[in-house]
Amino acid sequence: MGDAVRAKEVAAPAPRRFGLSLRAAALLLAVLALLAVPLLYPVLVPYSYVLQLLTGGFMWVAFASSWNIIGGYTGYVSLGHNVFVVVGAYFSAALFVYADISPFVTAIGAGLACAALGVVVGLITLRTRGDAFIIATIALMLIAQIGFDNWAWLGGSSGIALPPLHMSEAALVKVPFYYAMFAVAAGAVYLSYRIRHSRFGLGLRAIAEDEVKAEIAGINTNAYKVAAFALSGIFIGIGGALWGYSLFYLRPEIFLAIAVAADMVLMSIIGGRGTVAGPVIGAVLIVAFNEWSVSEFGSSELNLTVTGVLLVGALLFFPGGIVGALRERGRLPRVLDWD
Amino acid sequence: MNVLQITIFGVLLGGVYALMATGLTMLYGVMRVINLAHAAFMIVGAYIAFVLFRDFGIDPLLSMVVTGPALFVVGILLYQLLFRRIAGSSRFTEMTVLLSFGLALGVEGILGSIFSNIYHSTDPGYATGTIELGSVFIPTGQLYGFIASLFLLGALWSFLRFTRTGYAIRATMQDRDAAQIVGVNIDRVSALAFGIGVGLAGAAGSLVSYLFTFFPGSHLLWIGLLLSLIVVGGLGSLMGAFVGAVGLSVVAAFATEELGPEWSYLTFYVLLFAILLVRPQGLFGKPETI
Repeated sequence: MGDAVRAKEVAAPAPRRFGLSLRAAALLLAVLALLAVPLLYPVLVPYSYVLQLLTGGFMWVAFASSWNIIGGYTGYVSLGHNVFVVVGAYFSAALFVYADISPFVTAIGAGLACAALGVVVGLITLRTRGDAFIIATIALMLIAQIGFDNWAWLGGSSGIALPPLHMSEAALVKVPFYYAMFAVAAGAVYLSYRIRHSRFGLGLRAIAEDEVKAEIAGINTNAYKVAAFALSGIFIGIGGALWGYSLFYLRPEIFLAIAVAADMVLMSIIGGRGTVAGPVIGAVLIVAFNEWSVSEFGSSELNLTVTGVLLVGALLFFPGGIVGALRERGRLPRVLDWD
Repeated sequence: MNVLQITIFGVLLGGVYALMATGLTMLYGVMRVINLAHAAFMIVGAYIAFVLFRDFGIDPLLSMVVTGPALFVVGILLYQLLFRRIAGSSRFTEMTVLLSFGLALGVEGILGSIFSNIYHSTDPGYATGTIELGSVFIPTGQLYGFIASLFLLGALWSFLRFTRTGYAIRATMQDRDAAQIVGVNIDRVSALAFGIGVGLAGAAGSLVSYLFTFFPGSHLLWIGLLLSLIVVGGLGSLMGAFVGAVGLSVVAAFATEELGPEWSYLTFYVLLFAILLVRPQGLFGKPETI
């Protein structure tokens, strides 16, 4: 983000009260509409398909918004953030299989476990500035791969099966996942919003702009970075726990596929890194695009190529993402401006 | 197995790792580029060698003459078309990471759609042969790979040491701004470094084709391993890459012996985190300065 952008941010004389209430009304309407969707049973025709698609959308909104806390606000790109997904999923799966506690209960614990993991890993990897951190996150993903593939207690690479969830009607199985994942998405976006509008978030952005100056200004950069990394793990862990349960059969490669890590990055960048609305917009667009391309062309290896091409294209032509590009031209609608 | 035997295994593979890692660390040294697509281009080289061997019976070692120059051209093109455009952008290294990450995904997808996600490997006769020397035996495939790697690294070293262009590249690695002030054509040096870096990856791909089994997604395992090597050695240090490669390879060989092959790669990542704890700039790296 250049200086011109920031100048405009300050100068824009927004019709504040009206704008805010319009924004709030739009948000409230969207939330109510989404909460009402499962009530449409049995009017809604491909019921479980729609629910599953939206549940997936909520999950990616949560993942991308969480990634944005470290990758966007703080400017520390993590390419191994799917480690939090796999840890969250297996944390709750293990408690379900061996202690018979439902993942709907233990998902919060999975989030906290991921935050703890974030603190430990962050304390080691965030001592360096930038470059080595990115490499360490890739290494972390590969460590998780070796670990989960060979951890016999959790089924190793061949996976672990969970007791399925039974409902009075088969189609209704998706409903609890829908509401739970909606809550995760809401939580993640709220956390992202609160961080963006706090002193802490201001510190993170200072680190992203110029870490040395931030340090000179008296910001405890190490503590800030580790906190950002840990916070970014919470809702990914919770979402991962729910995702794992919804599959009823977990294999490490589902969560540790490079596409999972890549999509969080791509969504944030396409939507607009370092903004509140960007990752949400990016997640919605990419989920919709993936759904369309799979139904149109089928699932193939080339999907990964498309992900790569989109990433390269976005970086070259819209480095600020959709939100950034619109804001630069002064065309960002108030509804999408939560920064 | 005795200590000498394990050390031989480690050193032979270490030489090959050094060839793989050199291009990566050189790009960082010259331009502060972390090329995450480095290993993807190595796998491209491996597939070229595989096709040449399968369809034309060309020996994988000989195919380095094709894979190296072919990927050299790819490297130059990448610089001219992509990386040159982002030169001077803020947070340049991070930009290169994301850009090359996108490239790597693109390459993986294309390879996957051509060759599908199954393991491939070439099997020239020497790949499984051995030479017995008293109580130890030396696998011929790895020995040839080691010799080929040392030959290429030696050629690179001579080029950097004894030619004017080599001087310019080394000067740029030491201090980019100062090199520019004394009249080094940074643009040309960067393009050349990209060509050499990616070309070395391609040549290493020929070795991968018979030393290891590979599939489109295996570039990720390799890039993790190679990045660990160069962080341990010190990002941007050629000597560090060599020492890191051979050293870690020997440690990994002992880990394979003690813990089994599935845990041996863990050695690289554990050592990466260990070095980040005690010496974040790596063995041969310059400490960060403000």
